[in-house]
Amino acid sequence: MEKLKKAFGACLVPLLSILLAFLIGGIIMAALGADPFVAVKFLFQGAFGTKAGIGTTLTKATPLMFTALCACFAYKCGVFNLGGEGQFLMGSMAAFLTCYFTGLTGFAGIVLALLAGALAGGIWGMIPGVLKITRGQNEMIISIMLNYVATLLMGVIYTSWIRDASVPQTPAIDEAVHLPRIVSGMRFTWGLVIAIAVGLILYYVLFWTNAGFRLRAVGYNMTASRFNGIPVGRYMLASFIVSGAIAGLGGSAELLGTQFRLINGFGAGYGFDGVAMALIGQLHPIATMLVALFFAVLRVGSTTMQAATGVPTSVSDIIQALVIVFSVAGMALTKLPEFEAWKNRVFGKRKEGAA
Amino acid sequence: MDWVSSLLLATVRLAIPVLLISLAELYGQRAGMVNIGLEGLAAIGALVGFLVCYITGSNWLGLLCGALAGIAVNMIYAFSTITLCANHTVYGMAINIFAPALASFIYRVYFGTGSDLKQIVTMSSVAIPGLKDIPIIGGLLFDQSPMVYLTLLFVVFTAVFFGRTRAGLSYKSVGEHPQAAATLGINVIGVKYLACVICGALSGIGGAYLTTCYSSTYTDGIVAGRGFIALAAVIFGRWSAGGILLACLFFGFCDALQIKLQVSGIAIPYQFFQMIPYLATVLVLSLIGAKQAGPRANGQPYRREQR
Repeated sequence: MEKLKKAFGACLVPLLSILLAFLIGGIIMAALGADPFVAVKFLFQGAFGTKAGIGTTLTKATPLMFTALCACFAYKCGVFNLGGEGQFLMGSMAAFLTCYFTGLTGFAGIVLALLAGALAGGIWGMIPGVLKITRGQNEMIISIMLNYVATLLMGVIYTSWIRDASVPQTPAIDEAVHLPRIVSGMRFTWGLVIAIAVGLILYYVLFWTNAGFRLRAVGYNMTASRFNGIPVGRYMLASFIVSGAIAGLGGSAELLGTQFRLINGFGAGYGFDGVAMALIGQLHPIATMLVALFFAVLRVGSTTMQAATGVPTSVSDIIQALVIVFSVAGMALTKLPEFEAWKNRVFGKRKEGAA
Repeated sequence: MDWVSSLLLATVRLAIPVLLISLAELYGQRAGMVNIGLEGLAAIGALVGFLVCYITGSNWLGLLCGALAGIAVNMIYAFSTITLCANHTVYGMAINIFAPALASFIYRVYFGTGSDLKQIVTMSSVAIPGLKDIPIIGGLLFDQSPMVYLTLLFVVFTAVFFGRTRAGLSYKSVGEHPQAAATLGINVIGVKYLACVICGALSGIGGAYLTTCYSSTYTDGIVAGRGFIALAAVIFGRWSAGGILLACLFFGFCDALQIKLQVSGIAIPYQFFQMIPYLATVLVLSLIGAKQAGPRANGQPYRREQR
């Protein structure tokens, strides 16, 4: 019961933030001359109204889940990996090059491409990790710089090295290495299953294993962990590599399942979105996946909304951004002692084990 | 020679936005406010600067409104981190996601989703008579846009303020040891808010410089990582105004070099040149190593009752 109450309390802030964000989003819609209720109705109708719509939403959610889990896992260990986008892109490039050069098809080709993606993402995530541990450097700046490098590297591939005739994009990968769809008529693929599996594994590792406990301990209090004999540096490096590998796996799944080719704008913004989703999900892997799904709903639905009411799709970006602004502030607010005192006064509860 | 002097000219021009944003971060961190939301603040500054300049035709008004927009957005950060004690890094990221989304939204609403490029006239250079005829450095330093002079003057002011004045010392004490500062009668919360106002204004101007003095158009992602390079410049410049100036000139040089190399006709994909500033940042940070010299209470929440 106590646990349930706590879980409810943890959900309250994100839910209120979403509500508040929609309120402001609604005001913006009204200011643009649309009926916000109709617009929001179309938003959800677009995302859930048809079988194809649900399929698109799940497709859109898949890469977001990967980058969100990438951010989530790193932060649990107290390292700010802002390089999810770069790791995602390195993964997709590795997957593409594997398919392109080996020509392997079928199951073997898919597995090899996915592994190559995870490996490339892991290596790309290792760089800021190593620099943080050995040189004490700021991992946020390094990982962001590597995002730009990865984006430009992808540009080299699709504009110069493996260009598809006159268009700045690579040729599509062979159909035999496409990730198969699960339900016919719905676009989502086994990539979604992999994402959910990764999320569940992360949940299990973080909360039910010894290594996960230590990893969280490092994130919670590095000094105390060090005094308790936990090899802090090794855990940090491992969390960087694993989180990079998750993003890389996501990149390869996105390439094999949805995009099939490298092209301008591939994966753009997924890294920071992942950070946002992990923070709104309060670094809980399962909550983070749900937030990713919510973000996907906003994205897919906003296209329908724009077509039906003329409200630009970027309203959904604003709503998304407002959710993060409100929820992070809200979580900080609930941790303030003044808030605790106010809550106790209003709800007439006495603090147990008074400090 | 011509190639070199135009390279150096571009170096100064491109160092200015990073310099402005770095100084913003310096004023923040000196009061213990680690703001990694600079990228977002610069993005909203760039948009508002562009928009105001597009409507009114005045670059100066654009820069001013860019500053105001930066302040407005940074007040969200200030309230959340100072009053609500939210984690600085986490909230900085929130700003980095929020502000560019807002900027891009405003642009789309105002100009519609059409693809024609809207342009403004960038600020023209003003040569300082006499000084501009000095060989080599004359054209480099004294035939630039007024924003270049102002920014360089502001570097001098910052160096004097933090190094030579009593007010600067009090300001710095908030970042070093806020509790001790409070016992000296310094309004710690007030200084932190002031720091956020300065930080927002300077980053907003830095962003607005990009549109009103440099590129003449606004595109999403125009800040292109300069907010994060500025963070690196503060570390590289060892939290001193002079050091930051040198660091920014270095980053400006890398940026100018990549642009020059791109048009030089060397048969290498141009993206490799574009990587130069980012790789240089990684390289510089890894070379200077772990010796952190930043304010001691950087990024820590301050609560009056707490000891």
